Amino acid sequence: MKKEKVEYLISLFLSIFAALIIGGFIMLANGRNPIVGFNALINGAIGSKYKIATTLAKTVPLILTGLATSISFRSGIFNIGGEGQLYLGAFGAALVGITLINLPGLIGIPLALLVSAIAGGLYALLPAILRVKYNIDEVIVTIMLNTVAVLLTGYLVNYPFAADVGKLGATEIIGEGYHLSRLVRLSTLNTSIFHVIVITIIMYYLLERTSIGYEIKMVGQNMNFSRYGGINVKRRMIFAMVVSGILCGIAGAFEVLGVHYRFLQHISPGYAWDGMLIALIVKNNPLGVVLMALFFGALKTGSISMENATGIPSELISVIQSIIILFIAGEAGFKDKIKGYFARKRLSKKAGEKNA
Amino acid sequence: MAEKLIEMKNITKEFPGVVANDNVSIDIKEGEIHAIVGENGAGKSTLMKILYGLYKPDSGQIYFKGNPVEIKSPLDAIRLGIGMVHQHFMLVPSFTVAENIVLGVEPRRRRIFTDYNRAVKMTEELSEEYGLKVDPHARVESLSVGIQQRIEILKVLHKGADIIILDEPTAVLTPQETEELFRVIRRLVDKLGKTVIIITHKLQEVLALSDRVTVMRQGKMVGTLKTQDANEQILAEMMVGREVLFEELEKKDVAREEVLRVNNIKARDNRGLLALRGVSFSLHSGEILGIAGVEGNGQSELVEVLTGLRQVEEGTFTINGIEATNMDPLQIRELGVSHIPEDRLSRGLSVDATITENMIIGNHRKEPYAVRGIHLNRKKIRERTKRLIKEYDVRTPSQDIVAGNLSGGNMQKMIVAREFSFDSKILIVAQPTRGIDIGAIEFVHKEIIEKRNEGAAILLVSADLDEIFRLSDRIITLYEGQITGEFLNKEISKKEIGLYMTGKAKGLN
Repeated sequence: MKKEKVEYLISLFLSIFAALIIGGFIMLANGRNPIVGFNALINGAIGSKYKIATTLAKTVPLILTGLATSISFRSGIFNIGGEGQLYLGAFGAALVGITLINLPGLIGIPLALLVSAIAGGLYALLPAILRVKYNIDEVIVTIMLNTVAVLLTGYLVNYPFAADVGKLGATEIIGEGYHLSRLVRLSTLNTSIFHVIVITIIMYYLLERTSIGYEIKMVGQNMNFSRYGGINVKRRMIFAMVVSGILCGIAGAFEVLGVHYRFLQHISPGYAWDGMLIALIVKNNPLGVVLMALFFGALKTGSISMENATGIPSELISVIQSIIILFIAGEAGFKDKIKGYFARKRLSKKAGEKNA
Repeated sequence: MAEKLIEMKNITKEFPGVVANDNVSIDIKEGEIHAIVGENGAGKSTLMKILYGLYKPDSGQIYFKGNPVEIKSPLDAIRLGIGMVHQHFMLVPSFTVAENIVLGVEPRRRRIFTDYNRAVKMTEELSEEYGLKVDPHARVESLSVGIQQRIEILKVLHKGADIIILDEPTAVLTPQETEELFRVIRRLVDKLGKTVIIITHKLQEVLALSDRVTVMRQGKMVGTLKTQDANEQILAEMMVGREVLFEELEKKDVAREEVLRVNNIKARDNRGLLALRGVSFSLHSGEILGIAGVEGNGQSELVEVLTGLRQVEEGTFTINGIEATNMDPLQIRELGVSHIPEDRLSRGLSVDATITENMIIGNHRKEPYAVRGIHLNRKKIRERTKRLIKEYDVRTPSQDIVAGNLSGGNMQKMIVAREFSFDSKILIVAQPTRGIDIGAIEFVHKEIIEKRNEGAAILLVSADLDEIFRLSDRIITLYEGQITGEFLNKEISKKEIGLYMTGKAKGLN
């Protein structure tokens, strides 16, 4: 393995470890026993078949949004609009499911996924074009488009597409054929996890083994170099952005088809944002995304049990996640400091030998 | 003269990963011109920055007139009478000469307002005293590089410097400006009793100017000798640490055929100003056409136009008879054009990508490296990289380290290896040896000549006149976006060409 990779893994594990320790101190400061707390956390995440299934179910959207972030960040165009693309994708899937209600699953599910992919992809295409054609900052545009998508779908499910019973902020239930099968009793884990495995493999292949993946990486690293080397920089940026939007759209679709069976006004608790954190931590590595998504999924699942069992608020895990990010972001600085310290030590030792 | 003015003893300075100065000792005598030579990265600038208080040494001691001193900042250095002119000028372009010279020590009126009239007067007096002519009212941005350097020197003198450090002062100058600078330095030393330390890597200049010379190599001090005891060969060997053969590069006669035709090209620079004002020439197979000129006279834009990186406003150019105006870089590459860019860090490579990744660009969609243009054959790619690394002598522990870890010379060899391995018939080569060590320069020059002898057409853009003269068959001078002269190499001297480069002479020989 490359030296940089080893160094990175070491600092990653140190960061996670340090974040957990700080989390422990926070528990202590609140008068709770951290050992009991962490025990409840771990037990809540993987303590039984049901709990493992719940963790996996929580992981599904995180992998998709994590991969979506990876491809866009790799190409140097920053899709911060994953949440909006996810909402539109989810709504698109629900729309298919409530209008063509009697379609069999074999046709209906692919159709719903296709519509959600198109919705998410097109919603990402807009900022991508604004960026490459008019040099309008995609970060700002995508952030604002989030709000537009969330409020738009919110309006749609409260008025034109509102369910008949009460004011739910939800559509009607989608047709039976669209429901993805549940895999473990009581848990929401469903067959979407198999789709996600396939998607992950495709994304890994695309990013790591193809000339397109190579071009995306080079564009993200050095645009001038890429242009000089004959890469169509604009096309690659648009491609990366659209694929990113498609993945977010599909993440939304799976929430509808596999978990809720309808579109809800607040269908995502911020999956795209968590996906972004995950991709940042693992430096846009697709396999790293899977592992880190599992970790985040476990933290989320475990934190609820922890709160129930010990009274420690589940928000603590957001604190832990943020601390990991902080440490990772500071990685380069810390590394230089530590290296510099050892270099000086070595030097003064050498000087000492000379004088002696 | 024999008085030791400054002594630096056992100076060591380490940056993360490199020892820039390893137990270096040097002494400077009063009233001498002391040259410090060495390849890039030898630690010359670091040593002088320590003397000027910009870096703090990890260990070692500086003595001034025999007394130990601690120079913690440039202010301490200035107090001791040490001044430094940096390689990159530190002037405010929109200020006038007078304003720049008094910057930081402005004469005041009622303690608040800058007394501009007095600043002008001070500038005139200073200019008179040292025989360095400048116009106090001129805005710096409108002045040539040579004059800007003169202002930098005046600034240092204004602060009362007796010891003046010049960091690579001739790097940006024309031959005429260099001569003028040397006259100024001589005057400062002989007439006014100043001491000058000059950092350079041009050996001819050392021999022409200095009294003593100190050679550094890889952070270590190799030795100090009297210039009269030195010659180019001795110094080069001390710098490189082995025998250097300045061998004549053999040029063969090759069939010539026009491959590139440029017709009246006009193009704008990044600020939207016309950088090329109607340039026409042709390039033939089996020849090296050198473009000489002071930097910023349209060379960069010309290269970018010809490689598809910059839009043409007017005019056309053809490659092998095919209209190629405003094609994109990929299309031009497909026509058989390779390009060694002047800015290797921002364009020639990606510092974050591995050597393998850097070497495959341009071939990453071609068989056998990409099956059907899409599936990367990593084995084939690695084999090719390995072969090229060996063939072009890129010194690296592995092909998997990121390019940013390579030295400048090895980065350039990597780029040359990639671009020359395409078997292009046209090579556009810009500043191919800027900032790289002698060994690498020799290597790159040899490769260029070899390509020429094999029948490639080479357009060479270089700010280094020695390089232009060494390699070119034909030379074109570019001044303010226009061609001012065209010569066969043998027809013209360096001094003459300087006149064409500065627009003082015009016409075709």
